[in-house]
Amino acid sequence: MSDDIRVDRYRGMVRIRTFEAAVLREYHADKTPAWDIGAGQIPGEMHLAAGQEPVAVGICEHLRRDDAITGPHRPHHLAIAHGIDINKMMAEIFGRATGLCKGKGGHMHLFDPETHFSCSGIIAEGYPVACGQAMAFKREGSGRVSVAAAGDGAANQGAFHESLNLAALWNLPVVFVIEDNDWAISVPRAASTSVASNADRAAGYGIPGVRVEGNDVDAISEVARQAIERARDGQGPSLLEIHTVRLWGHFEGDAQAYRGAELETLDERDPIPAYAERLKAAGVLTDADVASIADEMSGEIEAAIEFAKSSPEPAGSDALDHVFA
Amino acid sequence: MSVEVIFPVMSEKDPSGEGVVGTWFALDGERVVEGQLIAEVQVDKVSADVEAPASGVLRHRVAEEAVSNQGAVIAVIE
Amino acid sequence: MTTTGTSTRRLSTAKAISEGIAQEMRVDDGVFVMGEDVGAYGGIFGATGDLLGEFGPERIIDTPISETAFIGAGIGAATEGMRPVVELMFVDFFGVCMDQIYNHMAKIHYESGGAVKVPMVLMASAGGGYSDAAQHSQCLWGTFAHLPGLKVVVPSNPYDAKGLMISAIRDDNPVLYLFHKGIMGLVWMAKNPRSIGIVPEEAYTVPIGEAAVARAGTDVSIITLSLSVHHALDAAEQLAADGISAEVIDLRSLVPLDRQAVLESVGKTGRLLVVDEDYLSFGLTGEIAAIVAETDPTMLKAPVRRLAVPDTPIPYARPLETFVLPKTDKIVAEAKQLIA
Repeated sequence: MSDDIRVDRYRGMVRIRTFEAAVLREYHADKTPAWDIGAGQIPGEMHLAAGQEPVAVGICEHLRRDDAITGPHRPHHLAIAHGIDINKMMAEIFGRATGLCKGKGGHMHLFDPETHFSCSGIIAEGYPVACGQAMAFKREGSGRVSVAAAGDGAANQGAFHESLNLAALWNLPVVFVIEDNDWAISVPRAASTSVASNADRAAGYGIPGVRVEGNDVDAISEVARQAIERARDGQGPSLLEIHTVRLWGHFEGDAQAYRGAELETLDERDPIPAYAERLKAAGVLTDADVASIADEMSGEIEAAIEFAKSSPEPAGSDALDHVFA
Repeated sequence: MSVEVIFPVMSEKDPSGEGVVGTWFALDGERVVEGQLIAEVQVDKVSADVEAPASGVLRHRVAEEAVSNQGAVIAVIE
Repeated sequence: MTTTGTSTRRLSTAKAISEGIAQEMRVDDGVFVMGEDVGAYGGIFGATGDLLGEFGPERIIDTPISETAFIGAGIGAATEGMRPVVELMFVDFFGVCMDQIYNHMAKIHYESGGAVKVPMVLMASAGGGYSDAAQHSQCLWGTFAHLPGLKVVVPSNPYDAKGLMISAIRDDNPVLYLFHKGIMGLVWMAKNPRSIGIVPEEAYTVPIGEAAVARAGTDVSIITLSLSVHHALDAAEQLAADGISAEVIDLRSLVPLDRQAVLESVGKTGRLLVVDEDYLSFGLTGEIAAIVAETDPTMLKAPVRRLAVPDTPIPYARPLETFVLPKTDKIVAEAKQLIA
């Protein structure tokens, strides 16, 4: 297989998709015959990032393991791309004692101190925390940066605006990312946002803002590289608005009636097969490579599923632990 | 030999104007050490710390919360 | 201010708090202060006085009016190994930033299964009695104590204020540190004499989670906190003149709460008066009463009496505000009812 960086990008995206698809399968598997959100081996809400893989892979390519990321309620792609232990992450989603957070957090509250990854179910509230991480990094002078990622809906929350101002004012090494997948649950961006692009809002805070179209991991990677280097070099924050696609519902169980005709052609916007075709056309990837990568990732993810399923559940009384350090 | 403790001049516009001895941190008759925080005074909305100019026994000349003037003697240290 | 080595060195509560912060900042580079007007102004209520001069603007940071952003920033910095002391100017302002406080600061340690720590102090002014009306006079500690994951400390005097601040900074957990404006010893606000007190010059700690017996007594237990401790002590002096021996317990911490101190005192006196400047219903006074009721209601010789703000917003006009606040004369009257 070619050692072209693009193959790594493809592998990264396939790993994420394979993970999301496996979680999708397992999540729905035992919610029958009546679909009950609280039932089954993976209970609760589930927000999967199929279609948004290019964002995660393009950005994390330029991050060090000790750079920080705060993610939203749809976090798996970012966590995987940044290097979280897949087994522990899967176990956490399954609510097992071997999970990243011992079953305390679940899919929206993944915390990994080793990769400085965290996420939150409260829209936009990761932006301020990323500012604080950046403050610590700036002080230590190591060149570490933080990345805050949230969706198009988050850009209308006060925390987003306060954070851009604060980071600009204090010249913090943070990159603000908006994953614009066109929808804040059922509300399209045009119905929520007063400007055509949040990249325009960046100017209002005196920081550079770029909008990237096409959901293309190569283009995203280049823009991310520049923004992350800016931050690392002490030139302060910037905003990346990345137009991507949400291939599945906002949450699992979302019938998506509001998306109308768009649903019929959604698969045509799937970035992964499109990228595979480009790489094959460029002679960087063969059909055999595609198949072997699919097998490899399938093996990795199924092993994670197996790890999760064979892990013990936490004891009920463990709920009383870790309120305080 | 006693050393005077003076209400600090805090207002350029009115350097002998009124002020209040807001808080005595050291009580009348207490032994104090040079540099020790002994009072907090106030002119309009601005407050200032007063430190002991010498060591010795503090004798108040102005009561707490009483009105005084900038530049006035508010205590002596014996 | 120079070291004097005197054992009668007094400070106001405000100066005691800033001394505690300064002493920790001198030994730990990771401690820094952030908030509105904490720098040149020294904090609106003097809690960070003189810190800017010693530590400079990199460590004593004036923020924009962006509570969500700067409290969130405190959280992020804390998760990366720093020890921020963040000031929320008035506890009443929590409405604009509560998500960061209760869903993030308080929950990250738990949600992460203990993997991530948030060693942060969030300090805020609280309380009324000087006509600052409904949005600037609240205590609200009951609201915060109700939500799991954050420690809540409420000093009543300069000695405890410095010791609890140092304990709070050293604690690896998020600590909400609430100081009543009326205990700060400010020259520009009417002050109880006990807001000035002897404070040891060296750094020392007061344990979080331990109440103090502010005054020992045998006939009635007045359990309270913050400025109400001063009113209760004044009331106890008046009651003593009438032959009633009142014990005053200063809770000092709400989370963790010193249940044992409550039970010991009530076990001794059999009569419980809880005094709280926070709102009456669904709060601290009910919690203290429940501790007794669920342990051994037979220790009570009379029903519990609760004196708190009677479920109204704090009004502006002085006679109105005086009517709702649980001050000395009301404490005396309630205690006498308990004995009757």
